[in-house]
Amino acid sequence: MAERKKEADHLPTSESDQDDFIEPDPPVVTNQAVADTFVNIDYEDLVNPDYDSHPSGYIHEIVRQGSHDDDDEPRVAVSSVSDVSTGEESSEDHTEISTKEISQALDEVSKLQHPEVSLEDEEEIDEVDTQEWRQRKKHVFILSQAGKPVYTRFGNEDKLVTVMGVMSALVSFVQDSKDLVRFMVAGDHKFVFLVREHLILVCVSHGAESSQQILLHLSYVYNQILSVLTFSTLHRIFKQRRNYDLRRLLTGAEKFLDNLLNMMDTEPGMLLGAVRCLPLDSQVRDNIAQTIVQNAKVKDLVFALILANNQLVTLVRMKKYFLHPMDLHLIINLVNASESFKAAESWTPICLPKFDSSGFLQAHISYLDDRCETCLLLLSVDRESFFILSECRNKIKERLVKYNALKAISDSLMKTSYSIQQCGISDLRHFLYKSRHMAQFTSPELEAPYLSETEQERLCGLYFYLHHRIHTSARPLKILYTVGPHETLLGWVTQSFELYAVFGPLVTKVAAIQAINKLLRWVKREEDRLFIPNHVTF
Amino acid sequence: MGKDRMQNGYGSGSEPGSPNGHHPFREHKQASRQSSTELFDLASKVMLIGDSGVGKTCLLVRFKDGAFLSGSFISTVGIDFRNKVVDVDGTKVKLQIWDTAGQERFRSVTHAYYRDAHALLLLYDVTNKASFDNIRAWLGEINEYAQEDVVIMLLGNKSDSTADRVIRTEDGEKLAKEYSVAFMETSAKTGMNVDLAFMAVARDLKMKKTRKPTEPKFNVADYVNQEKKTGGCCS
Repeated sequence: MAERKKEADHLPTSESDQDDFIEPDPPVVTNQAVADTFVNIDYEDLVNPDYDSHPSGYIHEIVRQGSHDDDDEPRVAVSSVSDVSTGEESSEDHTEISTKEISQALDEVSKLQHPEVSLEDEEEIDEVDTQEWRQRKKHVFILSQAGKPVYTRFGNEDKLVTVMGVMSALVSFVQDSKDLVRFMVAGDHKFVFLVREHLILVCVSHGAESSQQILLHLSYVYNQILSVLTFSTLHRIFKQRRNYDLRRLLTGAEKFLDNLLNMMDTEPGMLLGAVRCLPLDSQVRDNIAQTIVQNAKVKDLVFALILANNQLVTLVRMKKYFLHPMDLHLIINLVNASESFKAAESWTPICLPKFDSSGFLQAHISYLDDRCETCLLLLSVDRESFFILSECRNKIKERLVKYNALKAISDSLMKTSYSIQQCGISDLRHFLYKSRHMAQFTSPELEAPYLSETEQERLCGLYFYLHHRIHTSARPLKILYTVGPHETLLGWVTQSFELYAVFGPLVTKVAAIQAINKLLRWVKREEDRLFIPNHVTF
Repeated sequence: MGKDRMQNGYGSGSEPGSPNGHHPFREHKQASRQSSTELFDLASKVMLIGDSGVGKTCLLVRFKDGAFLSGSFISTVGIDFRNKVVDVDGTKVKLQIWDTAGQERFRSVTHAYYRDAHALLLLYDVTNKASFDNIRAWLGEINEYAQEDVVIMLLGNKSDSTADRVIRTEDGEKLAKEYSVAFMETSAKTGMNVDLAFMAVARDLKMKKTRKPTEPKFNVADYVNQEKKTGGCCS
């Protein structure tokens, strides 16, 4: 019983057992919030080389706008400049790797994976030769198209020249036959490749993620690099010198990549393509947003947002422009990974690849409280506006203190979100609920039995599994009920939400279904507190 | 909007050395987390530049808070901004200090701020040869982007680490002489010469603003040579 998972996949058309699944009406979309709708990250899109680079030129558009104000000429919303793709579009089916050369190359790599077959005994022991390094759950390597090491999550790139050489050989070998290598499976290891115009990203994992989920993670990593350099710079540099050592330009940015990868291991937000909002009374949140609007009336200010402990408190945006959840995650990562913002007001360039991968926005970043929990970011296209924004920041801070809003934020942080008990559903251990049109999600605190690190990792693995089963491109599901040895999982995806729930192992299907209907009603009731339905505009 | 700017520093009209430099103005600084409300007569923009990891932020924190940031390496992202008001013979000088990230990719951002900097503190690490070798490149950039009369001070930081030192004091002196810039060795850890570096900048600004045509010009390099302590024995 325990070793075999009992599953019941419900296809949308089947009627059995589904009477209790009353799909709630999609939340009433007032003010046509459709504008805030985000296209879900489609896995199939990920293999399209164009996917991540949309130099839609927003920044120039905004700058230009300044010169002839309110000129309402029709603009092309997204004019994606297509890349000069080096990798051909692959066919839908996975590339079969059976050729002799490849398996030889694979042997090379797997030799490095297995300690007993040591390649160079005479060499001094490097970190990359150690057992510990080999047993890391998830390796991420970045190399240039020329095969030069750019980044490795563990160890030192210099010691990995050979391994990366093999990787680049694998990629170009498949490219020779006008195809694109996507992933390989060797034992319990997955080798996932993301080939971009100038960079090759490889993940070697024996974790719970599916290869498509790993692909998504890799595209986050790629976007993180763009966020530091912009696509234009990357393109220019490699156009000039194919063998450029990109590490020169990335010094100091390794911490962003490290931090991003660590966050992805534990935070479901990136998997879901959604951000978590700080639970806050909707009136308080409105007040905060209005304070920003009133005190930051500055030309060229595109986004203003407040983050607290990796959660979104509020976001104010310029009309017509949207912050994609992927970009928002990069901003959260920037703040999360940097200590230096805590010391002083900072002014730093950041590229948001979904917004405009060709240029930088300038970010004024400062914490509003002495404990450095509440962080205000003002993102402008004007490089000269530091003092103006600094002035705005002081006014905003002053007002927020006056309205007790900063205190409300810190109170909410103190309360550590909410307990699963508050939902009042027995047997429900944990859940993730994502509102699709808001691109936001909520989940309760992790409680027993998910207190130890290994248990949390296991829970994360369950979500990866559930998410993968539902979103798998070969056979997407709407509802999945699956009984495992330690818990029962239920996933449900509709037009307006995605719900992933974890129950105790003994729950019956009927009980689970009743429970999630109850849960949906609870979420609906708490919606104002847990989500931000509309982002205010300047 | 012009008024807003003035409150936080230089308006374009009050740039150092501008022929009709404004008379000292007393202003009420906006209260902020960084510094309490203080009055000042003059404001001066100082930038810390140099390779990544030479101790720019540490030097600044030592000067501003008298503390040493030990332990982990906190690399600056972009540019940091802090204020400190110092007293030069009864004149309050507000130093607006821009602490920059040393990484290559931030150069284009920091260049934009060279232009209106009154003083540039150029740091290298006496235990890191590469950071010293790059000083020539930094000076080249300064020539290209900064104002003509910008005050440049070359600082050999981490002078307390005698054991790891690879750049001798003489090497620094020689280079400084070649480019005729002020030079001294500092230690953010012990605090040696840190205040002097910033005070020399403040003094220079004050002299520029108040000097009568008949008086001799204030020379930062000479002043520094007079006042600086040499390291060496104190380890």
